Amino acid sequence: MRHTSPTSKSPYPLIGQSTPLGPAHSDSVTHPPQRRRLVESPRGGEGTTELTAARDSSHVKEKMEQHTGAAEFNILLATDSYKVTHYKQYPPNTTKVYSYFECREKKTDPTKLRKVKYDKTVFYGLQYILHRYLKGQVVTREKIQEAKEVYREHFQDDVFNEKGWNYILEKYNGHLPIEIKAVPEGSVIPRGNVLFTVESTDPECYWLTNWVETILVQIWYPITVATNSREQKKILAKYLMETSGSLEGLEYKLHDFGYRGVSSQETAGIGASAHLVNFKGTDTVAGICAIKKYYGTKDPVPGFSVPAAEHSTITAWGKDHEKDAFEHIIKQFPSVPVSIVSDSYDIYNACEKIWGEDLRGLIEKRSADAPLVVRPDSGNPLDTVLKVLEILGKKFPLVENSKGYKVLPPYIRVIQGDGVDINTLQEIVEGMKEHRWSIENIAFGSGGALLQKLTRDLLNCSFKCSYVVTNGLGVNVFKDPVADPNKRSKKGRLSLHRTPSGDFVTLEEGKGDLEEYGEDLLHTVFRNGKIVKTYSFDEVRDNGKLKESELEDLLL
Amino acid sequence: MMAAQDFNFLLATDSYKITHYKQYPPNVNKVYSYFECRHKKGGQHNEVVFFGLQYLLKKYLAGRVVTEEKIQEAKVFYQLHFKQSVFDEEGWRKVLEKYDGRLPIRIKAVPEGKIIPRGNVLFTVENTDPDFFWLTNFIETMLLQMWYPITVATISREFKKILAKHLKATSGSLEGLDVKLHDFGYRGVSSQESAALGGAAHLVNFCSTDTVAGLLMAQRYYACPMAGFSIPAAEHSTIISWGKSREKDAFECMLEQFPSGPVAVVSDSYDIFKACKHIWGDKLKERVMERSEDSALIIRPDSGDPAQTLIEVIKILEECFGCSLNSVGYKVLPSYLRIIQGDGIDLNSINEILEKLSDEGWSAENVFFGCGSALLQKINRDTLNCAFKCSYVETNGKGMDVCKQPVTDPSKGSKRGRLSLRRNSDGLIETVERGAGKPQEDMLVTVFENGTILQEYTLDEIRKAAQIWEEDVSPSEHNKEDNTSLEIHQKLIMNGVH
Repeated sequence: MRHTSPTSKSPYPLIGQSTPLGPAHSDSVTHPPQRRRLVESPRGGEGTTELTAARDSSHVKEKMEQHTGAAEFNILLATDSYKVTHYKQYPPNTTKVYSYFECREKKTDPTKLRKVKYDKTVFYGLQYILHRYLKGQVVTREKIQEAKEVYREHFQDDVFNEKGWNYILEKYNGHLPIEIKAVPEGSVIPRGNVLFTVESTDPECYWLTNWVETILVQIWYPITVATNSREQKKILAKYLMETSGSLEGLEYKLHDFGYRGVSSQETAGIGASAHLVNFKGTDTVAGICAIKKYYGTKDPVPGFSVPAAEHSTITAWGKDHEKDAFEHIIKQFPSVPVSIVSDSYDIYNACEKIWGEDLRGLIEKRSADAPLVVRPDSGNPLDTVLKVLEILGKKFPLVENSKGYKVLPPYIRVIQGDGVDINTLQEIVEGMKEHRWSIENIAFGSGGALLQKLTRDLLNCSFKCSYVVTNGLGVNVFKDPVADPNKRSKKGRLSLHRTPSGDFVTLEEGKGDLEEYGEDLLHTVFRNGKIVKTYSFDEVRDNGKLKESELEDLLL
Repeated sequence: MMAAQDFNFLLATDSYKITHYKQYPPNVNKVYSYFECRHKKGGQHNEVVFFGLQYLLKKYLAGRVVTEEKIQEAKVFYQLHFKQSVFDEEGWRKVLEKYDGRLPIRIKAVPEGKIIPRGNVLFTVENTDPDFFWLTNFIETMLLQMWYPITVATISREFKKILAKHLKATSGSLEGLDVKLHDFGYRGVSSQESAALGGAAHLVNFCSTDTVAGLLMAQRYYACPMAGFSIPAAEHSTIISWGKSREKDAFECMLEQFPSGPVAVVSDSYDIFKACKHIWGDKLKERVMERSEDSALIIRPDSGDPAQTLIEVIKILEECFGCSLNSVGYKVLPSYLRIIQGDGIDLNSINEILEKLSDEGWSAENVFFGCGSALLQKINRDTLNCAFKCSYVETNGKGMDVCKQPVTDPSKGSKRGRLSLRRNSDGLIETVERGAGKPQEDMLVTVFENGTILQEYTLDEIRKAAQIWEEDVSPSEHNKEDNTSLEIHQKLIMNGVH
């Protein structure tokens, strides 16, 4: 590759080649108040030599991998850097730290009308984190050594709590002395309630509770995917019921298209499994694998798919051969549903001329078990869906269902998988209803909106310390910043109960100990390195299913 | 390097791709696809940082990724998943037999760290053996996840441009730029793997992070022994565990525990303004003044409107500790005292904050920033319109340029034919379509062929390639230039140069 000194740009980087703006040379780094230089460290020097050599020599590279333990996860390196320094910061003689996780209730600005309130959340995903990262012997001599070296370079100082980790290694054989209590997985709980608590079980390991905050707070993701997916299920249930009189096929109405749009393979596994709490249609294979490995189901697989075309399998035939591509593909899959993306050139022409005329005979021969599913993939979603339905409705004989809505013949359906999020979904089904189209005609696919366009703030997920024991005395603690009352946290030891009227309530300051409030809905799931309670995916689905009362509310 | 053993490559794709080998035209023997960040009219971020492919190749694609066990696992799995036999068992067995389970694929890519204008090819993928035409797009799903490290690295670099501009204007130098934006995003991403990938992508531009996973990725996949730094810092739990009446004791403990290096203390547990005025600025004032530039106290607000809170905090600190003017006439707090704002930071708010600070006469030297979700999570494949499309096929050995061109959305149109990337005689980077590019000009480098990684990059090299240039920091000129280059670029397209 030739060097590309950009003629239209200054040939000089801002502060000269020797000290480029970027942190290209670790020894030119100006860390705010820098103490020691990285280059002085023996390990840094050694690493550099090794790495240079590694570029030409695979066996050295393998050696390096072994040296750094590449494959193995190290809980000592799976936290925010600053937590490495926290054991020095708690009050002297602290013997317990107790923290909890909630999806905070947000007092919303009444002038801002948010279409979806998300007033309840689906609790899901803790079991994955416990199984994958926290259970068993997670601390070893090698991991302590690795962490010690990494943090010495990272902080340019010895701040790592080697003694504390050695204590866990020796006293607990590397198992984590913490207890986690949580609501059952799949539970649907109103915002603002405790969902799980974490506490240290050994007075020496008070600092461990919040060490695991970073990894545990990532549960915001499966909770948020499952919750958002469930809200979409409510919308689909409402309109499907209203336009067809039944909920048949509901579990296949929202197909997961999100694999490519998430940020990693692991995220795909977690997010897709969270969608499957509510639905059964997915193309994100990783989600099924995660469920099989970390939850288990009585069915061999918890999610299904159908053969489907993509643009490459259509455009590879050439622009003049779209009809040949369509014909070939439907013939390849005669006895099962097959979805065909039809917008490579002109979705309306494809529906009218190719499907509606050229290949009409072939389609009419298909059965209700093996429909052609036409997939538009561009344009305004609602307009496109309506126009496609209108064209197909003219070419194929419509029937009216018991609720008086139009239904295409059972051998042809539509799937909209572009631009679908919870808001557009609502708009499309509402628009279809207005135009007297039954929701039976359509299924949806959602990718980015289902698995990626979500953040921890959507449900205000937070993990906060609420109780500590210092000098043998328990203290209820909380934060309450003047500038944002929404950020106030709960106080003391917490428990979750149901009132006689069935509402959920979180009791603070250890009040739940009193018998009058009934049993605590938080169950111990993890204690001293062991998982003591697990849920099958069937239980998760059952806990998360739409309740009769919710359906009644939707149809009001 | 070998891809992870327990990972089954055959299960790492969208379900429907299992059925595609049956759908291509008969006698197809090559499928050629490419990745780009499509140019969108009126879109932000006109150039992207190419980063992350090496991780995917090393972790998932290199070496013997197909085994008989994996084929059997996939066969059973897909039978259940589709409730019918559609899996191409024979095709995969042929990969195993003919190539010992290594992928007969060639990937050519822009060198990592390169800054490339939107709308250009960034990498191409093609099968190297006519039997495996279906393999090219089988790996689309996995390769398209490249959107994530590219987008994080690009957004992080946009932060850097803003910071550089203000720092230069209000301090006269760029000292400390690469630690101005600290990665707070570990807890706010969707998985450990995303934390690692996103954390490493930020480290292309900065060397300041709390996302330890990113450091490990830089170490293991990009040969950088230590890519980023951090300092001791408090969190709310370590402050409130002292009790509400003992916030001062908690603060004092921090100063005592970490006397010789910088230390950050979150100070809004109850009232950030009172904490600054009465605790830092009064009760602990002498303890704070004893510290030096190398062991600064860094106060962290964490709630309220970021710009307003920051201005109010800095004014309180000025009243208590005084300030001085730097060489370009902006106010600077004493060198032992700094602020870090880590709540509510994104590309818009950081610019607003820095503008307000300079309007009020304050240098950007006074402040560090922390950014979590805006850096690592609040982004998606549409942020830079990342797409992977087939542009060329060979049927019976005869090549054909293909593309999609939906009438319902012209911006989704794709490029045609075999592609190459070059710098033209005007110095502009452009994509040459339809196989018309000269091999000696092509900026795309073969990084992967038949299971082997052919070219590797270190984080040091990547950081050099992605560094910021003078024009990046003077936005007016930069925009002008960008528009011009865009116009020229479009003119070339219209003149049929491609």
